[in-house]
Formats: sequence, structure tokens, C-alpha cells
Amino acid sequence: MSNVIGYYTTQFGELWEKSLFDLVEEAIFGVLKQTKLENKQIDAVFFGNMLAGVLENNLHSPSKIAEILKINVPIYRAEAACASGGAAFNLAKNYLDANSNKNVLVIGAEKMTDYSPEETIMGLSSAASGEEQEAGLTFPGLYAMMANFYLQKYGYTEKNLAYVSVKNHFHGSLNDKAQYRRKITLENVLNSAYVAYPLKVLDSSPISDGASAVILTNDQETINKQKFSTTILASEVITDTISLKERKQIDEILATKNAADKAFKNAKISRSDIGIAEVHDCFSIAEILAMEDLGFWKKGEGGKKITEQSTMFGNGGDLIVNTSGGLKAAGHPVGATGIKQIGEIFLQLTGQAENRQVENIKYGLAQNVGGSGGTAVVTILAV
Amino acid sequence: MISPIKIWRRQKEIRRILGKKGKILIWTKIFTPGADFKKYAPYPVILVELENKEKIYGQLVDYDEKDLKIGKKVISILRKVRSATEEGVIAYGVKFKPL
Repeated sequence: MSNVIGYYTTQFGELWEKSLFDLVEEAIFGVLKQTKLENKQIDAVFFGNMLAGVLENNLHSPSKIAEILKINVPIYRAEAACASGGAAFNLAKNYLDANSNKNVLVIGAEKMTDYSPEETIMGLSSAASGEEQEAGLTFPGLYAMMANFYLQKYGYTEKNLAYVSVKNHFHGSLNDKAQYRRKITLENVLNSAYVAYPLKVLDSSPISDGASAVILTNDQETINKQKFSTTILASEVITDTISLKERKQIDEILATKNAADKAFKNAKISRSDIGIAEVHDCFSIAEILAMEDLGFWKKGEGGKKITEQSTMFGNGGDLIVNTSGGLKAAGHPVGATGIKQIGEIFLQLTGQAENRQVENIKYGLAQNVGGSGGTAVVTILAV
Repeated sequence: MISPIKIWRRQKEIRRILGKKGKILIWTKIFTPGADFKKYAPYPVILVELENKEKIYGQLVDYDEKDLKIGKKVISILRKVRSATEEGVIAYGVKFKPL
């Protein structure tokens, strides 16, 4: 069985004074310090990043990481759009399944604010199908189509969606690494400008810089020396069509559903055992669909359930969602997001989440999505 | 990146889907576009099911707000779809107009 034994994240936000690899370096040495491991004790590295090749003509990042870490080991980059971090984590876990007594470093990072929003949006669009790109369909546009369909099918309004952002901004106010620490109201969300109808600025995760890192190990001696440790019960990746139009259902992310079914089966626990979850709220609609597709809520009920705010910290619910602030408030440096989600679950399960600590939890889940649902990664940790 | 060769290759496919009738399955309106589409914003994008059941995305042009609804009948037309490339080649593609 493999364990997560340490987590470090940089601040998320508009970090103009730092380059992509400044952030990567901070995350690497931050997590090594947390776990009291030397660089020479790392046996392999997995790096989640989407845009460096597209935006800054910067590939072959494994070799750059070797230069930073000053070691000569296998280092791989994983790319699965916004699920790059989750995919890197999954590969690291599989590496441990195939190799005993190893320590593996997983880093996710993205540098998005060196460019104009239009340039970054073009870069992100590379994760959509050619036809979607030609039609000028941005990622907000694709999720807006899902939102428009969902609201009409089940008779909800934009106000139902707004509850997601209000909750996640409240959580962000409790996380000092979050990009936005400002609480917002339903009115703030509803009065914000449209990005892609019916989604508005405050339904949408921001463009962010940041890097996050975790260390995984299956070496019992290393685990014994650690103060904090969580067991990886499951890590599953499922892919689906890149085009939204090719999916059987517009209001369902099948990859999430299948990854969750597989993860719960392998973890041998049930949905009701999960006390804490980080789900991929790139847009407000995405959190509602995630809660349904993960099997926490019934299909079509999410719009109503979110208005009860039982998943908000402090409301006494059995399952608290996105205590990091989610992608919405913590920020969404796309390659880092999947690692930050797992890191937040690690902090919560090991009692290190400070002013947002959820009590009496044993199991946590992270769900990371790439594109409009072409990749989903579901991870379950236990303490 | 867009290249003249990619535009040329795409033209062959586009001919096949011009002048086709269909109905809107889903729609959105983009207010914050990528760099190549900045001058068209805000613009609606629709997913259309053609009469032969094939599904195609495209922008809706020459429209009124009341046309933005599921089930609205549309027809595919040839329009410029992006700003010209650095080589000056104009990318034409499929858009839709209401029927």
C-alpha cells in the first residue's frame, strides 16, 4: 500500500515576480523539508503541467526538474489538460505499485498570468476538439452549454448555481494560500458580468499561477519516520471523448462516474464513508455535476441540494466539499490543481487544516477533470 | 497554430456540411473569447443536430435574441471563422443562420 506523507503548495494567484520553475523549485524544496527527505532519497518524479509548451515554448520539463533537484532519476511529465496534476499522481501511484520501497515526488504547476487573458484562453482551448476550437467555443463556453442544458432540463435558475461560488469563496477566506480570500454574496455572483451565458465571472475559476507537490512512498521505514501519513485507497483515471457533442449525456461527466465507481470498488468503502471532498469546480455547474456523477447526490437534484449548503464548512453536514476554496476561490493553476486537491485532503485527514479543519473524518476524495470531461481522476485517501 | 495547409485540408470537409438544415440542441453566448475570436464577441455558439442526425458546432449569425432557444431551426452557411493568419490566408468555415 502506498502513502502520501507530505504536501506543500505555493501561494496561488497572480505571481508576476515568479517564473514557472521558480514555483516548481519552491514546491519541491518545500515538500522535501516537510518530510525531512533529501533529494537523493527521491527515486522518481512525476510532473503535471499543461501549458508551458503551448504558451512559452517550454518543453522537456523533466530535464529542467533534474537540474533543479540535482539528481539523475526517471522524471516524467503528464499532460491531461486541467487533470494533468491528477494524472501525474495516478502515474506515481502506479509506479509505486510496480516498484517496492520507493519514494516518489509529484509536482503540479502552471504559469498562466505572463500572457493576456485572450492568449491564455487560446492556450487552454488546445484541450478542446478542433471543431470546438473552430467554432470559438472556449472552456467557459463548453461548461456554459452544459449549464444551460442542465438548468432547462431540471427547471433551475442561475441563482442555484451561484450557491457554489458563495460556499467556495467562504472556504477560500479560511485558506491563506488561496487566490481569493474575499467572501461573496449571491447578489455579487448574480450581478457579475457574463463570461459565457449563463455562466458569469463569479461562476468561473480564475487564471492563476501556482505549484503544489506531494511525496508518495511505499517504503515502510520512510513511513515510520513521518509525523503525518495517509493511505492511498484508490486512484483511478478514466478518459472519454474530447468533444462534448459526442457524449451520450450533456449533463453528466461519464469519466467521473466511471472513475468513481472503480475507485469506491477498489477502496472497499461506500459513498457515505467520505467526510471530505475536493471536487473540480472550474465552473459552478461543474461542482453540481461532480456531486451527482460521484454518486453523492442523485442526478438532477444537485441544483436543489446546493441551496441547502450542507457541504459548507461549519454547517454540520456529513460531507464538506472544497475546503481549500475549490478552483473557484483557491485559484486554478491548471497543472497544480489536481495536486492541491489531494494535498487539501491530506491536510484535512492529518488534522493540519487549521481554521477550516473538519472533525471526525477518516476518508477523503479528490476529483480532477480535464477539458469538458475528456479525462477524470478520482483519488481516495484514508487515515 | 493555424497554418494555410490546415485551412486547405479543412475546406474539403466543410463543403460536405454546407447548406444543411437542422435544429439547435444547446446554445451559449461567448462574451470572453480567445485571441482569434476577439473581434466577433459577444457571439452565440450552438450545437446543431442536422436532419441526418449528425451533430455540428458553429456560431449563429444574423440572429435575433429570440432565436437562441433549443429546437430553433437553422441552416449551415460558409463564413469567415477567424482573423487572417500571418500568411494572410483567411479561414472559412461553417456558421449557422436562423430559418
